Amino acid sequence: MGLRDEATDGEIVRAVLAGDRERYAVLVRRYRDRYARYAARMLGSRDAAEDAVQDAFVRAFDHLADCREPDNFAGWLFLILRNRCFAEQRRRTREGRPLEAHDEAFAGPERPDGTVEQAERMRALERALGDLTPEQREVFVLKHVEGLPYEEISRLTGATVASLKMRMHRAYDRLRELLKEHV
Amino acid sequence: MTTGYHPLVKRLLDGELSLAELPPELQVEGEEALRLVGAVDRAPVTLPAALEARVMETVRRHAASPARRAWRWLATPRELELRVRVRPWSLWAGALAAAAALALLVSRAPEPSTPQARIVPRDRVYVRFVLFAPGARRVTVAGTFNEWDQNAAPLVSAGSKGVWTTTLAVPLGQHQYAFVVDGRRWVIDPAQPAVDDGFGGGRRNSMVAVTAQGARTL
Repeated sequence: MGLRDEATDGEIVRAVLAGDRERYAVLVRRYRDRYARYAARMLGSRDAAEDAVQDAFVRAFDHLADCREPDNFAGWLFLILRNRCFAEQRRRTREGRPLEAHDEAFAGPERPDGTVEQAERMRALERALGDLTPEQREVFVLKHVEGLPYEEISRLTGATVASLKMRMHRAYDRLRELLKEHV
Repeated sequence: MTTGYHPLVKRLLDGELSLAELPPELQVEGEEALRLVGAVDRAPVTLPAALEARVMETVRRHAASPARRAWRWLATPRELELRVRVRPWSLWAGALAAAAALALLVSRAPEPSTPQARIVPRDRVYVRFVLFAPGARRVTVAGTFNEWDQNAAPLVSAGSKGVWTTTLAVPLGQHQYAFVVDGRRWVIDPAQPAVDDGFGGGRRNSMVAVTAQGARTL
């Protein structure tokens, strides 16, 4: 709290590396929710997202000395979380388990911001996202859920804008096929 | 069987076209596509505050783990101070040895590949880093040997056009590193193998193994 919380990410990372590990809590508070929605949509549930975000923070701490741009801690944390989400999806594919059924956090019929029909369409879309490849799902989530332009997605993921568009356009076609009864 | 969306409809979904810009025969398809994407749930996801306590509990446990502490101690580069007691007669012997070493270095000028090394006592080896970066105003090298500090090891322009170089005493072990051009562009060493930095995003670091016999390519 107070002045300490106003320190930049770089200052906090350097302080933690110098031994003040309790200051890491500031970074956890600062970024706990920033990528939660991304993880939830990638993994299909809030619980899985919570586990992934927690693991990402711990892994980031364990490898903090490898963070070569401490002032860009948030971007580095995102890459760790992204790796974690992809690894989880690979594990589920290997074990023959689909994405978890979406939980009440998503598109519940009691949501006050839409009709039952809209809520049903939301749920159908959530299910359909689980049928995309992880790469297609990611670009869809970052563009249409997080609202990022292709250039920003490219900066975050390291993929070129052209390859991102190709993934996205394949995702559109796949979603159309999966959701033909809902649109 | 449903066919894919028309390329113009995909550009509509990408936000590059408006519905009004679609030709009349694609209007219905465009509206359908917008309904599909419009169903996306953008509600924020808030994680419980207890997550912070769980992370910090794990972090404290990891920080206290003897194995992890030992690994961090081994993996973290550090300055070592060597104290040597010298007898007067050995100064003359040292001077003669230094003259011989200098003659050796002059007579066997290193090839312009990077990094190059010569040996200093025990824990460190001098490694020469060279980057060809014409037009650069400032070049530094950052890596595991200097805690990725972008300002710790500036290279100097070597006179030849665009050649930047520095020689550093690098601790023995495997190291990852990269050059930083003009304070913002990270460049791997074209003369060395590179590995993924392990955190996704396609970023790569150069690799070098520093042994008591010198620096070598992995």
